[in-house]
Amino acid sequence: MIKKMPWWLGGILMALLLLFTFSIFGADRPIGASTYVPYFAGIIFDLDPQKYTYLQKIEAPGAWEGVLLLGVLTGAFLNAIFVTKTFRFTIVPDAWKRYKNNSILSRLFWSFVGGFFLIIGARLAGGCTSGHFLSGMAQTAVSSIIFGAVVLVSLIVTGKRFYKGDANE
Amino acid sequence: MNEMMFQKMLERMEGMFHTVQEEGHGAVALVFIIGMVFGSLIQYTKVHKFEKIAGFAMLKDTVVPKMLFLAIGLASIGLFFMIQMGWASYHVKPIMLGGLILGGAIFGASMAIFGKCPGTGPISVAEGRIDIMVGAIGGILGGAFFTIFYDYFHIFMGPDFGKISLSGYFEDTEGTVALIFGLILVAISIAIPLKEEIDKDDVGYQS
Repeated sequence: MIKKMPWWLGGILMALLLLFTFSIFGADRPIGASTYVPYFAGIIFDLDPQKYTYLQKIEAPGAWEGVLLLGVLTGAFLNAIFVTKTFRFTIVPDAWKRYKNNSILSRLFWSFVGGFFLIIGARLAGGCTSGHFLSGMAQTAVSSIIFGAVVLVSLIVTGKRFYKGDANE
Repeated sequence: MNEMMFQKMLERMEGMFHTVQEEGHGAVALVFIIGMVFGSLIQYTKVHKFEKIAGFAMLKDTVVPKMLFLAIGLASIGLFFMIQMGWASYHVKPIMLGGLILGGAIFGASMAIFGKCPGTGPISVAEGRIDIMVGAIGGILGGAFFTIFYDYFHIFMGPDFGKISLSGYFEDTEGTVALIFGLILVAISIAIPLKEEIDKDDVGYQS
């Protein structure tokens, strides 16, 4: 059984999946994974598309990604139970304990804030790691290259400032 | 009241399947399977884990950039040939400069702190990570907030410089551009030294 796949095999297979999805034999569109969030928010909070025009804009890609997400969730759950056996309830990630703190409250607070702004950022930029990075840069799209560069800088600057170094080493 | 809301939610979920069915971007079952494969590749390489994403932000783990750059590099070369053959077409996003810079900066910082992105978070939710479930609630509220105040957010997203791609910009040599772009990314992915930040909780679960 597959428990861990090396990065190069994952990269090759991910490229093939992306190409298949792009092709007319697949879905004839890129893979994206952040539009589904406001789409589901619209469903959960029963926001009226007549009033909130953004929902009209994202109706088609939001629905597509919504179905994609159901596939991701189902696949990941089945994998976690039967293949990788990684299903377990945890709150504070191991590396958070190592480089930040042991506080459950701190982790939950930052997760909530992080999740909130993650989506604000993705929707401002019109894409995320999947839509811009993977699918966009594969098309040599200038917008995605700009996004990629800004994200890399912001990610690494935040990583250096937010976490402490090797406290235990 | 609650029952009515639930009923409405179900109706809109049905609408979602209907939209995909009518849209012509693959049958519902196909899109579902693409999602399963997409998620599995991420899960098997473990690039959804906090240790990998926040680890990359701290430059202690490099599996994410190695895999990402390899996938983009190979896909960009393959995609160019597929487009030449008429098997695929471009779907380039516009250069909304303000949105890209502001959104990218917010996205990168959030990704470092949360240790997930919108595509990898759901996998951790399905694996029982409670902190990520809380983050997902934050994300859905963020999505609602953005939807409700879209008119205000929209002010910061321009100016729009259009849908430009490198290979489209160098029209005569677009094949060469795509090939060089792809090869550079593949070279970068190989050149980045492999570093791994291990999740000690995982020991005993893998073997």
